[in-house]
Amino acid sequence: MKLKKVFILVVAVVLATLLSGCSASAMRSNSWAGLSADAEKAYLANGSFVYAINLNNGNQAWQYPAEKADTKESFFATPVLTEDGQLLITSAGTNHSLISLNAASGSTNWTFSDPEGVWIASPIVVDETIYAPNTDGKLYAFDLLGNFLWAKHIGGTLWSQPVSDGEFLYINSLDHHLYAFNLSTQEVLWKAEATGAIPGSPALDADGNLYLGSFGAKIEAINASAQNTSWSFETKGWVWDAPVIEENTLYVGDLEGNFYAINTSDGRPVWNSIQPDGTIIGSPLITEDFIVIGTESGSAYAIDREGAIIWQYSIGGRLYTSPVQGDDLILFSPMEMENQAALVALDLEGRQVWQFIPEN
Amino acid sequence: MWDTYIIIPMTNVLLFIYEIIGHNFGIAIILFTILVRAITWPLTAQQLKGTQGMQELQKDKEWLSIQKKYKNDKEKLASEQMRIYKERGINPFGSCLPTIIQFPVIIGLYQSIIRSLAATPLSLLNMSRSLYSFLDISSVIPLNSKFLWMDLGRPESIDVFGFALPTLAVIVVITSYIQSKLMTPPSNPGDQSAAMGNMMSIYMPFLMGYFAMTFASGLALYFITSNLLGIAQYAMMGRANWNNLIPGRK
Repeated sequence: MKLKKVFILVVAVVLATLLSGCSASAMRSNSWAGLSADAEKAYLANGSFVYAINLNNGNQAWQYPAEKADTKESFFATPVLTEDGQLLITSAGTNHSLISLNAASGSTNWTFSDPEGVWIASPIVVDETIYAPNTDGKLYAFDLLGNFLWAKHIGGTLWSQPVSDGEFLYINSLDHHLYAFNLSTQEVLWKAEATGAIPGSPALDADGNLYLGSFGAKIEAINASAQNTSWSFETKGWVWDAPVIEENTLYVGDLEGNFYAINTSDGRPVWNSIQPDGTIIGSPLITEDFIVIGTESGSAYAIDREGAIIWQYSIGGRLYTSPVQGDDLILFSPMEMENQAALVALDLEGRQVWQFIPEN
Repeated sequence: MWDTYIIIPMTNVLLFIYEIIGHNFGIAIILFTILVRAITWPLTAQQLKGTQGMQELQKDKEWLSIQKKYKNDKEKLASEQMRIYKERGINPFGSCLPTIIQFPVIIGLYQSIIRSLAATPLSLLNMSRSLYSFLDISSVIPLNSKFLWMDLGRPESIDVFGFALPTLAVIVVITSYIQSKLMTPPSNPGDQSAAMGNMMSIYMPFLMGYFAMTFASGLALYFITSNLLGIAQYAMMGRANWNNLIPGRK
């Protein structure tokens, strides 16, 4: 009888361990860092914690939660700073929380946890109203005190931060559409279909043109006034994150590891695409002197406006999150670094200044 | 290795089925299960043959005589039983082996479902790397995880008077029990191996039910479809032992 029980127990434990192992590894691998910065601090959403790190020395200013991690929280959207000193963070964990922190201290101002879906997109603040897209396909609106105003169904699954011209919010969806949401009437006025799912944000220029990259392996330019596609540019791989505009040039990378500069007026390449050492996921960072990108192979590149590589620095890990500039530093949040570093600061010459290793 | 030979092929087959049947992931899982059952049909048939052998053994003179002869020497009885199993080519674990053989499929399918539904950025990125180049899946991403009342990427339950009733898990327990019982051969009181099979037919349904309740409901859908197909297969082959479903009858 004992043998029978042991046999059954062993079978149960092996299968449970394997399946649970899958879930645990899925949870671990689901981690995706979100990074923003002001002149003094970097704000890093990383797993169960959000950290504020002093830019002058790389030391932690505060962390949220202050002590023990809440396993129901998983932060990977880019933290958003508001003009009144709030830091808005969203959780992809089972708590479904949108949280406002005091950016100076890390203390909680307010929390909203009602939606059906989790938050993967960052919110945007327009005219003292917070607009937060959720994976349940709805757009939620709050005032700056955290009072819930309304929720409107947009469509599909919303993963990216909207952009706004003050009159409209332009929201990309995984359902292959860009939605134009009128802020006055609180309705979707029009939508444009892309060739694939759009996980990243659109880019909006001063003339009201929108540029979006999709899993259809295309960059598409959409004229917001005419509500039609002006041009499309074929990329060699799927495009993950938002293109970035500088004057008349659009910079974007793809999952096949190509980096492009495209003329915004006609969709023609400014120079032949360049191939760094790996997949490009995050948006490029435009600095005064060059454009910075990170690759999945863990390398940071500075590229001039003619498409020449100025410097390359091997950070390690995987660089999925868009780099950010804070003061005179270029910040990267690598994943799976051997020494567990979650934030690396480079100077403008491509030399490492410090790295931040969370204690948790 | 596991990824290359199990997860990626399974993910692609699932997505391929999803694409050709009109973007219904629930139906894709059901069709995938039928495919798995078809592939493992010979194996199941072999197990059924073993079960029938066990049933015939219960009436065999040599078998009955060793039961009497060694009734006070359990070690000797077990070794004699093993000898007879070996001589007649019978597998005494006939009732539980098909379930155990499903384990790699269960684990692989669970991982494929989670990868295919890609609910987070990194899982979507991993999924994009799992696709064979000849499949044009970009147009169907993201997958529709809704099927009937379920979100196939999450555990299922229905709210009944304030209680979250795990409907699929209950159905998994019932169908797993029926399937195990139909395959369980009659046994003598001293037959340890057959008794172990009986034990498994009680414990395994609850184990499966626990997994169905805890993990993505797509997995529960696989369990139920697989169990129903198994029951149908036994019935079609005329091997189902319906008397086993009634307590006290052999």
